[in-house]
Amino acid sequence: MTALRERFGLRIESLLQLFVFFLTALVWVGLAIFAPRFLTAHNITNILRQVSIVSVIAFGELFAIIIAGIDLSVGSLAALSGVVLAATVAAGAPLAFSILAGLAVGAAVGLVNGIGTFRLGIPAFIITLAGLEAYRGVALLVSGGLSIANLPPGFADFGSSVTLDVPNLFIVTLVVGLVADFVLRRTRTGRYLYAIGSSEEAARRAGISVGAVTILAYVVSGVLAGLGGELLVARLAVGSPTAAMGYELQAIAAAVVGGASLFGGRGSIFGTFIGALLFATIANGANLLGIDPFWEMVAEGVLIAFVVYIDNVQKKRYAGG
Amino acid sequence: MKRIFTLLALAAFMAGSGMAQNAAPVSSLEIPVIVKATNSQYWQYVFAGAKAAAKDLGIKVQTLGAAAESDVAQQISILEDAVTKNPPAIVIAPTAFDPLAGPIEKATKAGIPVIVIDSSVNTNSYASFLSTDNEAAGRLAADRLASAIKAKTGSEAGQVAYLTALPNVGSLTARDKGFNEEMASKYPNIKIVDHRFGNNDPAKALSNASDILTKYPDLVGIFADNNMMGDGAGRAVQENQLQGKVSVVAFDTDDQEISFLKSGVIDALIVQDPYMMGYAGVWYAAAAHFGAHLPKNLDTGVSAVTKDNLDKQPAVGLLDASKRRLTPFLGQ
Repeated sequence: MTALRERFGLRIESLLQLFVFFLTALVWVGLAIFAPRFLTAHNITNILRQVSIVSVIAFGELFAIIIAGIDLSVGSLAALSGVVLAATVAAGAPLAFSILAGLAVGAAVGLVNGIGTFRLGIPAFIITLAGLEAYRGVALLVSGGLSIANLPPGFADFGSSVTLDVPNLFIVTLVVGLVADFVLRRTRTGRYLYAIGSSEEAARRAGISVGAVTILAYVVSGVLAGLGGELLVARLAVGSPTAAMGYELQAIAAAVVGGASLFGGRGSIFGTFIGALLFATIANGANLLGIDPFWEMVAEGVLIAFVVYIDNVQKKRYAGG
Repeated sequence: MKRIFTLLALAAFMAGSGMAQNAAPVSSLEIPVIVKATNSQYWQYVFAGAKAAAKDLGIKVQTLGAAAESDVAQQISILEDAVTKNPPAIVIAPTAFDPLAGPIEKATKAGIPVIVIDSSVNTNSYASFLSTDNEAAGRLAADRLASAIKAKTGSEAGQVAYLTALPNVGSLTARDKGFNEEMASKYPNIKIVDHRFGNNDPAKALSNASDILTKYPDLVGIFADNNMMGDGAGRAVQENQLQGKVSVVAFDTDDQEISFLKSGVIDALIVQDPYMMGYAGVWYAAAAHFGAHLPKNLDTGVSAVTKDNLDKQPAVGLLDASKRRLTPFLGQ
């Protein structure tokens, strides 16, 4: 594996990620041949825009998954941050302040999740599931149940424009991805995250401050969910309290298909991105080929199950002889 | 419109003249009004009409609804809880055609008159059904799309696509049917080339519309069968700066759609009368409680709102419930 990494310079951690990477490439080749206008600049730009938001949320979700936790509140949190952003701007506040306000909400929720999980011992699944309901409710309350439209044109422009031919939304995703990847692979904190995911007890005995790192993971998940929600406001040019429904499952699916294990200790930003890209490509391909959307949903479910199965087979083969 | 008020006046007269089957004072009545979801301006207008009727009648209403239009189970729970409280009558907009039939039949059997609004349900066991004739509305949408296409391209011809919010919803299926039939019978040169479901999510509608525009670069029109789809379709056209080439006709209104209408991204909005569904719904509910015999079906009507008639009545009142003027008949 190390030889492979050195040779290709790619961040591929396991056979599984290699498999998913080539599967995605195969889908792209297939669509380029069979789907009209798939491989045009216009369509690729659309795919990049479509993948940006889920990717950012998935990057944050990855932090929670690596420590063997989970964050089911990211979808509702994205909507809440988006609504806070839109409402703050509509009230006349400067843009920078409004953006920070949305991110602060994400951080605050992350803090609640982290402290609840670590200090209070509430299982992550439960506390974030409660968050999924509660924060959706807060978003509906803040917005009065309606979308907040008539935002300054800057939003719509940011969401639809490109810089050097790359969509702005995707540039944000790229920057966030590179920073997150650096943290995970090249900093001590990153190593601590993986260590806790592999074995929390061993990490504790090694002197790692499990509490601080756990809370950090959930705060990152919250902030990136908030950022994703704000990007969604730019994409839609409207702050909607019912946006991002189901995005938590899309984020988890992207991370898992990209090589993360729900038991913790594994996963990469690059893999997560490829996972998100694979799903976005399937959705786009289904539209271009005119495939029944219901079959598309079945296909995505089968894909997730298949990838996890391959992952288990590989783990069994390499574990303990 | 005049017919509704004749009937309302008659019902009020009958109630007032002591044909009441119930001795409870009118002011103590509280009627639950159950909509599909509380998160869209459309349902908020139903509530506005309902509250106005309650004020005129001197009764109370309880405004209820799930958080999402796709949450059928939640609406069934809300209805069952309402029935348990034995209200004088119930006003409900069924989220889905089949699942709500049983619970509504149970309510009627328990002696609670049910007024159904907006979407049809698979039973005849209700007191009255107030709705838009959605098939006619779909036909109107097709007519408006064709004339918008003609204005932009010179002829009623070309490829069009339509976006459906959710499968198996009575009102949406009827709109799509009307749209398809009108296009097929009156505009043989307009071809419907694609049709996607958007899960009532504007982001999904945006992705679908973008992909449709990619797949069919010569597309000249998009029909969006509710306001969430309209938001997404409008944004796709705006993002690709195709408002000069692609015509969009969407259903219902919200702030975003009106903004698109003003800027020329959307060519016409087919606007229903949710305010009247709420207003007449509550009036009918109260009348039914006092034993009035109601017409089985009532068409609350649609209007096409364009940039030209946006600032005049009745469009003004249809788009903003606070500016709504009921007919001269009621002296408002």
